[in-house]
Amino acid sequence: MSHQHVDPAAIITWRLETIAVVILVGVLCAIPLAPLSGRISLAISLAVITVGFMLAWHWPKARYRRLTYGLDVVGLTIQDGVWWRTQTSLPRVRIQHSDVSQGPLQRRYGIATLKLYTAGSRYTKVELEGLRHDDALALRDKLLNRDVVSV
Amino acid sequence: MSSVSEQEFEPQQRLHPMSWLFATLALIRQLIFPLIAAAVFGSRDGAPPWLGYVVVPLIAGAVWKQFFYRYGLGPAGLVIREGIFFHNVRQIDYSRIENIDTERGLLHRLLRVVEVRVETSTGGKPEALIRVLGLTAAEDLRRQVFASRFGEARTAVEPEKEEVLLRLPTWEVVKFGLIDNRGMIVVAGLFGLLHESNTIELWATVLKDRMSAQAIDSLIASGPLIQITLGLGVLAIAFVLVRLFSVALALVTLHGFTLVRSGADLRARYGLLTRIALTLRVRRVQAAHVTDTLLHRLFGRVSVRVDLAGDMGTSQRGDEAQSKVRWLAPLAEPGCARELIGIALPTVDFSAPANWQPLSPRARRRVLRRSLIGWLLVSSVLAAVLRTYLPLSLLLVGVPVSAWYSAMYVRYTRWALQPDALFFRHGWLTRKLVIVPRDRVQVVCLKESPFDRRHRMASVCVDTAGAGPRSDQIRVPYLDLDVARSLAAALYESAAVEGGVPSYRTNAPAIGVPAA
Repeated sequence: MSHQHVDPAAIITWRLETIAVVILVGVLCAIPLAPLSGRISLAISLAVITVGFMLAWHWPKARYRRLTYGLDVVGLTIQDGVWWRTQTSLPRVRIQHSDVSQGPLQRRYGIATLKLYTAGSRYTKVELEGLRHDDALALRDKLLNRDVVSV
Repeated sequence: MSSVSEQEFEPQQRLHPMSWLFATLALIRQLIFPLIAAAVFGSRDGAPPWLGYVVVPLIAGAVWKQFFYRYGLGPAGLVIREGIFFHNVRQIDYSRIENIDTERGLLHRLLRVVEVRVETSTGGKPEALIRVLGLTAAEDLRRQVFASRFGEARTAVEPEKEEVLLRLPTWEVVKFGLIDNRGMIVVAGLFGLLHESNTIELWATVLKDRMSAQAIDSLIASGPLIQITLGLGVLAIAFVLVRLFSVALALVTLHGFTLVRSGADLRARYGLLTRIALTLRVRRVQAAHVTDTLLHRLFGRVSVRVDLAGDMGTSQRGDEAQSKVRWLAPLAEPGCARELIGIALPTVDFSAPANWQPLSPRARRRVLRRSLIGWLLVSSVLAAVLRTYLPLSLLLVGVPVSAWYSAMYVRYTRWALQPDALFFRHGWLTRKLVIVPRDRVQVVCLKESPFDRRHRMASVCVDTAGAGPRSDQIRVPYLDLDVARSLAAALYESAAVEGGVPSYRTNAPAIGVPAA
């Protein structure tokens, strides 16, 4: 089974998402300290944002390097995670239904998330993030088109 | 079965005349805490007058609902019609009905009625809750639904012959109570109730009044030996009480546990006050769990339960039906348990010797390290809180215990990949065995934590359609990376293949097959 990466544009969407969260967290950290000292609260929020920006720069690249998927006769295998790594294997006959969804940021960069639902109990939803929208649709069709591939 | 007749079909059967009572009681039960709180805080003497304003509309609503409720066996499925303003017709195809479970509380039994739950493989909450039917009506419903599912005539079918597989005599139920520690739940519940109602504070003040200063002084003067004996005595009494609660609880919930085979399905019936009849459809069984605690071994017994597809227990309403443990045998001798599992998992060949494999050779060191870190954390936190070095002496106990535990854990934790199933047993004092038929596997996950990667290890998780949040996760930890990889790959490849067994047994339920 040959594994392939998702679309590189996914990095940008993750980066922007992380930055948005980082700025929010930075501001939230500063609020409780603001009445005590404006300078300290500013320093803390700047520190949080700086660290967060470093994270936002490096983490999406690392995640992109780790996030791969492979399609074979049985089904789909997804490798994900930078620190805690998981390899999720989902036989295609176990797919109950599927979604292809896009957030506003993802739509801007033509990225989509493929969500595959199983009848399982803990991994009821297997997600593959960062595919080009057309690729996601094509992959979904390949997965759902059982008769052609699996027999 | 033409579609015309299906559309024209009008359900005619009504609920039992006393249904409104149970509907009201169920609603009141949901509102019980707000109601009690309001009653306690809102009134000083007697029942608050507004209670009538709450209960009367509830009863009226229930009567109204009952009046317009109809059910009937249509040509293709069970049809339920509800309401007159908000009209709702629900059709459940016979082929999709997996279970018809019944439950009878004390009141149900007095009035000779039964609550019926119609379950499909959708999971979550029951597809239809028929509250309540007369005994004969419920039995007719069950018989006719199952008869039509097998394509037979829907009129009067002989009840299927039942073969008793397991019957727990009272003494066994008592044993179960002794082994099981659910008495703690009762104690916790009682404590919570007493706390809420301020009874504890009341007792404390009464005790303070009664305990004279002299009595306390004499207790202090009596010396450490008597103090320790007194303390141990109190602990022993508490222990005995908790066990007694457990036995009482077991007697109430599991009294007269009977597991029967009826056709291809298994049925379990139990309960002293609330009689429960559960159908365990063999083709919905996803995994079998065997629990063997220290006390189980003392009595020479094991407990066996199964995961059923659709029992995910994630129902938002917290329906009590979902939290029921699907016992195959609350208590059985190991040999009998093996037989029962063989019946529940007919696709698995238990005659072949299991090819037991150990964990990674380096697993013991990791378990030891984890255990030691746990002891160190607890003792140092205690030391920090109490501001003495005394708790650090806990480590004197902790080190040998950890060493012993890690050695035993690794010794008793084994997995076996059979042609048709994955066996995994783990634990030392409490030993658990999980059996998952390979064609029940939904998703296979290979997980590497940073610690795993440092030791080139991984764990393999397996997901089935039946494992609820209360059920144990099936996760084989501490495997060498290449072993884990090949195990995951083997499970993944066989998950979709029916292991040479007739397809109606394995993939026929909707669990594996996508919805059309």
